[in-house]
Amino acid sequence: MSLFSQLATNKKALIGMAILAIVILVAIFAPLLTEYSPVKRVGRPHQAPSWEHWLGTTRLGHDVFARLVHGARVSLAVGFGAGFIITLIGTVLGIIAGYRGGVIDEVINFFTNMVLVVPNLPLLLVLAAFIGQASPVVIAIILGLTSWAWGVRVTRAETLSIRQKDFVKSAEMLGEPSWRIMAFEIFPNLISIVGINFIGSVIFAVITEATLEFLGLGDPNTVSWGIMLYNAQNSSALSVGAWWDLLSPCVALAVLGLGLALINFAIDEIANPRLRTGTMLSRWIGLVRAGEGKL
Amino acid sequence: MAFLLRRLAFYLAAFLAAATINFFLPRVMPGDPIKMMFASAGSELSLDNLNALKLTFGFIDAPLGEQYLRYLQSVFTGDLGRSIKYFPLPVTDLLWRALVWTVGLVGSATIIGFAIGTLLGVMAAWRRGTLLDVIVSLAAIFSSSVPAVVVALIALFTFGYTLGWFPSGYAANPLLDPALSWEYISSVIYHGTLPMLTLVIVLTGGFAVTMRNNMINLLGEDYIVMGRAKGLSDRRVMLWYAARNALLPTMSSLAIAIGTVLGGSLVTEVVFNYPGLGNTLYQAILARDYPVIQGQLLIMTAAMLVANFVVDLSYVLLDPRLKKA
Repeated sequence: MSLFSQLATNKKALIGMAILAIVILVAIFAPLLTEYSPVKRVGRPHQAPSWEHWLGTTRLGHDVFARLVHGARVSLAVGFGAGFIITLIGTVLGIIAGYRGGVIDEVINFFTNMVLVVPNLPLLLVLAAFIGQASPVVIAIILGLTSWAWGVRVTRAETLSIRQKDFVKSAEMLGEPSWRIMAFEIFPNLISIVGINFIGSVIFAVITEATLEFLGLGDPNTVSWGIMLYNAQNSSALSVGAWWDLLSPCVALAVLGLGLALINFAIDEIANPRLRTGTMLSRWIGLVRAGEGKL
Repeated sequence: MAFLLRRLAFYLAAFLAAATINFFLPRVMPGDPIKMMFASAGSELSLDNLNALKLTFGFIDAPLGEQYLRYLQSVFTGDLGRSIKYFPLPVTDLLWRALVWTVGLVGSATIIGFAIGTLLGVMAAWRRGTLLDVIVSLAAIFSSSVPAVVVALIALFTFGYTLGWFPSGYAANPLLDPALSWEYISSVIYHGTLPMLTLVIVLTGGFAVTMRNNMINLLGEDYIVMGRAKGLSDRRVMLWYAARNALLPTMSSLAIAIGTVLGGSLVTEVVFNYPGLGNTLYQAILARDYPVIQGQLLIMTAAMLVANFVVDLSYVLLDPRLKKA
């Protein structure tokens, strides 16, 4: 079975994909879900949740629910945008380093290890501080350009073992050009690693974007979950009892992170069947079906 | 020995890279780097002070190469310039004061998180497929995917504000003088509980997952079967045959996790108003105090490299093959 058809039967993957699908739909149809504009003053400051304002209002009288559904767009866009850049760089460099070997490998490996030991968030803070008020696009780009090292390391390790397989040897014997071997012989066998790398990078990017904005390095005019946290923290939402202002983006971030992580674990289980959890019952049923269990 | 020397040389190169980023970043940004870096200082700095500040950052009237060497010289002699916001306080003093709190917080959280996570991972792998495994795996998925800032804010809201069990700020009761008395130390522990709990939650899941995966991959090995065949107790096979060998790859994930926990501690400290590096940095970001922001990158990198070196040392102790190499 292919990776995708197996994902469709994995319980963790299904729950994860359902969560992700809901967040994506909310982001797409954000303007239809709320009558309020996310950037206009539509109520009194710090109103508690009510029928008019489902999740209350912020200090500035913005509708929290409107900001939350519109903010989903930014979180998803930054997450998937940065995740794509990280995965692209990581996969290409990883395959080249693992397949080519020699000096190319040593150079790539050296830089990868170096990027891995320079702590990521402090580096991003310095970059963002010099850029000034970083817009979501800028955040996505700097995340993409600084966070690929882990992907290279994992992809390279897997490529090294695939390179020894017979089908690669025979393709070499047939005289296939090396770019073709890398793209059509090796890459398809890395699909689960690439998938895990991609989803993991999306989680990382969503979390880090929110963190950078929370720390005051984002553009305060953006409507995003990180800026919501920043505003709530700066208007001391907790000490004045306006929990809805702070907890709404918190819950949204936690739910999106959980959905993505479930998908990632499912891919890991499929690529590596020994890792499956399952319950005693379903394993027992499986054994009975296979004729091994005795009733 | 050769292995450790090679690692040391590599760490030196990595530190140099971080310093190089710091040097070139203000120079490649559009606009006048000096104006930008010292804009927030306004006219409060006297010309002499400003010139001293520029000197540390290598902004001298000389070719780029010489500027670079000058900058490296200040960095490697421990001079990271002076804070603009708290002029004339040297950046190293400012960060050093904060570093103590962060190291305490991060260190204790890492040790506790590593111990709990590894143990849970070992047990989940050993009883694979049981309810325990399902619960541990799901909890680990959740804990490793939730941002530290979210955990911190929810912990602060629940235990700090709603229940009122723990204080919502500071590292100790501000009325007490720092001393080696039980009163002061217990106050530090009391104030540190929530931030540490936050970091433990963020960390534990990742360790549990890594350990579980490593263990499961080892369980089919011949020496595990051999251990059982010898009639050793379950616990002995689990801990001394399987877990001990699975720990080795987990150690390298510990080194990477230190980067994550440093980042996590940055935001946790901001949420809990804890006087560590994170909070110092947050104040520096708000004031655009560039020397401090740049200085923290070097300090954090140095902390990360030291942590990596400790992991390297433990590798040598745990893996006898490396002793000879």
